[in-house]
Amino acid sequence: MTFTVATIEAGVVRLTIEGELDVVTASELRKGVDKLIDEKPRRIEVNLTSLRMVDSSGVGTIVSLYKRIRAQGGEVVITGLRDQPLAIFRLLRLDRVMLGSAPG
Amino acid sequence: MQMVGRLQLRDLVLRSVAAACKLVTPRGEHPGLNDFRLEVVTAVGEAFNNIVLHSYEGRDDGVVELDIQAMPDQISIVFRDWGDSFDPDSVPLPDLDTLPESGLGIFIMKTLMDIRYHAGQPNVLTLSKKLTNKSSHAESVTDPLGGKK
Repeated sequence: MTFTVATIEAGVVRLTIEGELDVVTASELRKGVDKLIDEKPRRIEVNLTSLRMVDSSGVGTIVSLYKRIRAQGGEVVITGLRDQPLAIFRLLRLDRVMLGSAPG
Repeated sequence: MQMVGRLQLRDLVLRSVAAACKLVTPRGEHPGLNDFRLEVVTAVGEAFNNIVLHSYEGRDDGVVELDIQAMPDQISIVFRDWGDSFDPDSVPLPDLDTLPESGLGIFIMKTLMDIRYHAGQPNVLTLSKKLTNKSSHAESVTDPLGGKK
């Protein structure tokens, strides 16, 4: 799993997560998420186009990001979900609240 | 197959199970095989996580035995561990409307496969699934186990 954070404009960042986000790799992402939240962005776009597989720990990390940014008054939009990660998001009914655009 | 219960070995378990899934269709390709394999791999990953994180919490020397039985149109995976018992049926299902951040693994496991658990020494967790044309997933998916982590 790798992740990158890019500033799109002031207060708007894109978090791109690639590979397999699981119980082993989620701890690395969690540190990055903590740092990102401290910066208090008003909008985070989470690009999951190249996320191949996710487990419950990985989903928990993304849900945590979503809830904490929303609690700060910010917005989180998830894009690019497909294949196994999309199926897991649907299974957990997260697609209804967290998907900002059509999966691609 | 026997191993030490460490999360670093999770990938080895999942690749073994993914390979075994191909053996359930000895007569050739099946339209539901890809979804079947991904659902089994996803559920087994959650099961292995639970053994390492809960049965062997605080330990890195616990032994995990894994038996994979691939039969025509079905698979059965048996985990044995000698740690604390962790009955999946004792865990309440998460309220998905509250966007829970934990407790999702058991739900995923139970939704994707049939589960039986026997507490003891060893604890025995059996996950089984029949290959059908219907997926538990909402749509067909592609195999994510092809590339590097």
